Amino acid sequence: MRSSVVGQLIRKDLVLYWKPIFTATAAAAAALALVLAGGETPVFVGVILFFIALILAGHMLPLMGIANERKKQNLAFLMSLPISSIQYTTAKLISSLILFLIPWLTAVIVGVWIIDTRGIFPPGVLPDALILAFLPLLGFCLITGAVLVGETEGWGIAANVFCNIVYPFFWYFMLKVPALMANVKSPTVVWNSASLTILAWEFALAPLMLGLTYFIQSRKRDFV
Amino acid sequence: MSDPAIELSGVRKNYKYFSLDNIHLTVPEGQIMGLIGPNGAGKSTTIRIILGLVHQDSGEVRVLGHRMPAEQIAAKWDIGFASEDMRLYESLTIGWHMDFMRRIYPKWDAAYARLLLKRFGLRADQKVKGLSHGQRVKATLLMVLARKPKLLVLDEPTTGLDPVARHEILRELTAVMADEGRSVLFSSHNTHDVEQISDRVTFIDRGRIIDSMDKEVYLERWRRLHLEVPHGVELPVLPGIIGVRRDGRLAIATANAFVPDLAHAYESSGARVHSVENMTLEEIFVANVEYSREEVEA
Repeated sequence: MRSSVVGQLIRKDLVLYWKPIFTATAAAAAALALVLAGGETPVFVGVILFFIALILAGHMLPLMGIANERKKQNLAFLMSLPISSIQYTTAKLISSLILFLIPWLTAVIVGVWIIDTRGIFPPGVLPDALILAFLPLLGFCLITGAVLVGETEGWGIAANVFCNIVYPFFWYFMLKVPALMANVKSPTVVWNSASLTILAWEFALAPLMLGLTYFIQSRKRDFV
Repeated sequence: MSDPAIELSGVRKNYKYFSLDNIHLTVPEGQIMGLIGPNGAGKSTTIRIILGLVHQDSGEVRVLGHRMPAEQIAAKWDIGFASEDMRLYESLTIGWHMDFMRRIYPKWDAAYARLLLKRFGLRADQKVKGLSHGQRVKATLLMVLARKPKLLVLDEPTTGLDPVARHEILRELTAVMADEGRSVLFSSHNTHDVEQISDRVTFIDRGRIIDSMDKEVYLERWRRLHLEVPHGVELPVLPGIIGVRRDGRLAIATANAFVPDLAHAYESSGARVHSVENMTLEEIFVANVEYSREEVEA
């Protein structure tokens, strides 16, 4: 049976990159298992590993799946197929999103479940945890855009470095915003305007970055 | 009369340090066109414009009747493209790539693909990572040929291959070209390969097409005349002679439009014609490039 060329390109990426995604998902699962074990040190180490696993998945995937394809000269092979550059971009965005969302969504859903039901963290931590969990998604969108638009691994690495600098500053910013920290220890989840505003921004920025990537790619005159 | 397989007219493309300048190129259906040029001449840029991967700044490009780059998707269903800098996925097997192509191309010929696999000495379960350069080129060509394209565009496919691998690939290409409906654009700086398989030859240098005609016409028209020029004799300036190199009493005149009258004209001027030699395509190419550069600089 023959499906669309874009469909075949997506399928190809799933075949090529399932191992690193499986590894990232397994690492996030191991981190959450550590959290479930309880105790101050395992919970602290588990939370740190949880974010590292998501950040690694979001940062490595665009470098492996997009930048490497150019570096290893596979792109000329793909572009010899009956597709346009914008179809290639579509395939890359969809396959990368699928691959990233597998570990990210799994980890976030399990994380929310742990906060909600296991009594390890106070439920009031949920809004801040979700804000933090969105950061790797934004990093993924930024790095994906950078390697697609910039066309070199260098742009991907620069975006990677930028994200790694921004993350600790963002954490520091959260600690300094009283409205975000006020309900962290609350026995119920409190959605105040500060947390909702930041989440809304994060929620909007992800599609905005991918949309901008798509727009810039559609205006390119030279592709390979 | 059918449309040409490839037709470029007045194509221009400007980069910071390189420009394609007013390219006119026609590859008639069923013909094999060799595109010869030194490194950096503009062969790959021209080919990428033909495939719609690079957009020309001005000029018209039609491939298999499709306007490029606007109709590149429709055109590429019938184009087989392979280039020296094209690689398959290292971590996957040749068989996986064959299956990938089969899923995309309705005309994929699985039996022919298996035949090519055997002829090229490859195995479907081999990972691309473990292949030699020659095997990688053969595997790439397999992917291109088994999809049965109407137009083959090959950008330096034999670069870096050992003589045996080159021979195998040229033999397969010659066999494929027995299909008279198939057109081929074959770029190379190896004139020997182009001479073996091409009907027509186009020379490109510094972003300009400097000459384009039937290969046989080139070989017929280009000659080198070895002369002995006695003291006091001045060689006449003759039409069709593009350059004369003198070394004492001896001179070599290069003709790009040789007729026997040229030799007679030298004889009449007092020079003695020792011999008139045919030139190889490589010699013609080099002489053509040098002449073209002198013309531009003058």
